[in-house]
Amino acid sequence: MSIDSRYSDLIQADIDGEISAEDKADLDAYLAASEEGRALHAEFATLAASLDEIGELVPPTHLKHVILNQVPAGSVSSKRPGLVKRFFEAPVLGYIGTFAAGVVLSLALVDSDQISTGAFDDMTGLVGTIANVDSVNAVHDTVSIDESEVAGTVTLRSNGPILILDFDLSAPQTIQVIAKYSDQTIWFNGFAQLESSGTSVAAEAGTVKLEMNGKRRYAVYLNNPGRRPASIEMQFVARGEVIYETNLEFGT
Amino acid sequence: MIKPDDKTLMERCIKGDRQAFEVLLVRYEKPVYNAAYRMLHSRDDARDVTQTVFLKVFERIEQFDPQRRFFSWIYRITLNESINWLKKSNRLDPIDDNLADDSGGPEKEADNQQLSESMQAALMTISPDYRQVIVLKHVLGCSYEEIAEVLDIPEKTVKSRLYSGRQLLKEKLSERGMHS
Repeated sequence: MSIDSRYSDLIQADIDGEISAEDKADLDAYLAASEEGRALHAEFATLAASLDEIGELVPPTHLKHVILNQVPAGSVSSKRPGLVKRFFEAPVLGYIGTFAAGVVLSLALVDSDQISTGAFDDMTGLVGTIANVDSVNAVHDTVSIDESEVAGTVTLRSNGPILILDFDLSAPQTIQVIAKYSDQTIWFNGFAQLESSGTSVAAEAGTVKLEMNGKRRYAVYLNNPGRRPASIEMQFVARGEVIYETNLEFGT
Repeated sequence: MIKPDDKTLMERCIKGDRQAFEVLLVRYEKPVYNAAYRMLHSRDDARDVTQTVFLKVFERIEQFDPQRRFFSWIYRITLNESINWLKKSNRLDPIDDNLADDSGGPEKEADNQQLSESMQAALMTISPDYRQVIVLKHVLGCSYEEIAEVLDIPEKTVKSRLYSGRQLLKEKLSERGMHS
């Protein structure tokens, strides 16, 4: 026998605390006489309690800064919505589209000794998967940065011999990011970014320097042919001063 | 000290008060992030949706109808963005029950979290229409009337969707041996 819809509605309203005194009295009388009604009430009460008990997650500590850094400084009415909209509507394939420009830029700036160390590998496959790297490339280390000058994450991933420094950062003013690696067998292998004009890169033996502002997602590719343990020392510089330092470790 | 209400903060935002926007961000960051996570079952996606939501609030601040309550506006943007995210990633259809389990990771570090994850996995097996009323009710703590305002649907439809969503959840959990 099915439960009359009036009473199933009242059962739900009772569980949700949205029942009037009059309806509650009616429901109680019904439940006293209906085993099926009592069973549904108990099931819904258990379910509602379980749903209410699902844990509350804490947002990433840097999220607030990332958002605020994307809001143009000054008054709200002076906002520039086009920039934000353009960023969020940018297709993931933008990485692929801008990768060539990134590599050209990198080639132009990279030290000639670096280029002679080895040919640039084809990074296209890695670039195309950057938005879904969690499932493709192993994560070795990650840091969350929560400074007023820069906020976001830097994650060290790998795919075969390629180490990928995946930057997802936001900075209200121009900052420099310096990545240093002492192992001379590791060499700079490429660079990709979502927006082609937002970040510049220069590389020399053991060091990659980047300059950025705004909300940026980009990746630096290092070739680690021996797949040896490596420590990458990161410095974030604003107004000529180091504002944040950290190390990212691979296999150490 | 009395904290300014949402309406006051929005009025200050519209006049160009960036600090008021920051207060709203602090106030709503966690509920928006949690609602997005429960809709999407991905911390990365929830983070991105949360960013998008607040930037849309900022961009559209002058379009805000002051007759409306701020929470209903931002929660609606959150749910719409979450559903857009599901569409973009071809995850709008409820996922197969067998695939709904999370494969592991930090969410499964403790038993109570496992319960939470099992519930979350079950949530992902019901359609977004049902999922969003459950999220509004149990994650955001909205009343029937508030859910109706957020989704712009009659209260009767809210009750109906809640009932159907709960029945489906109950069945999914029962299949998993979690609820009798």
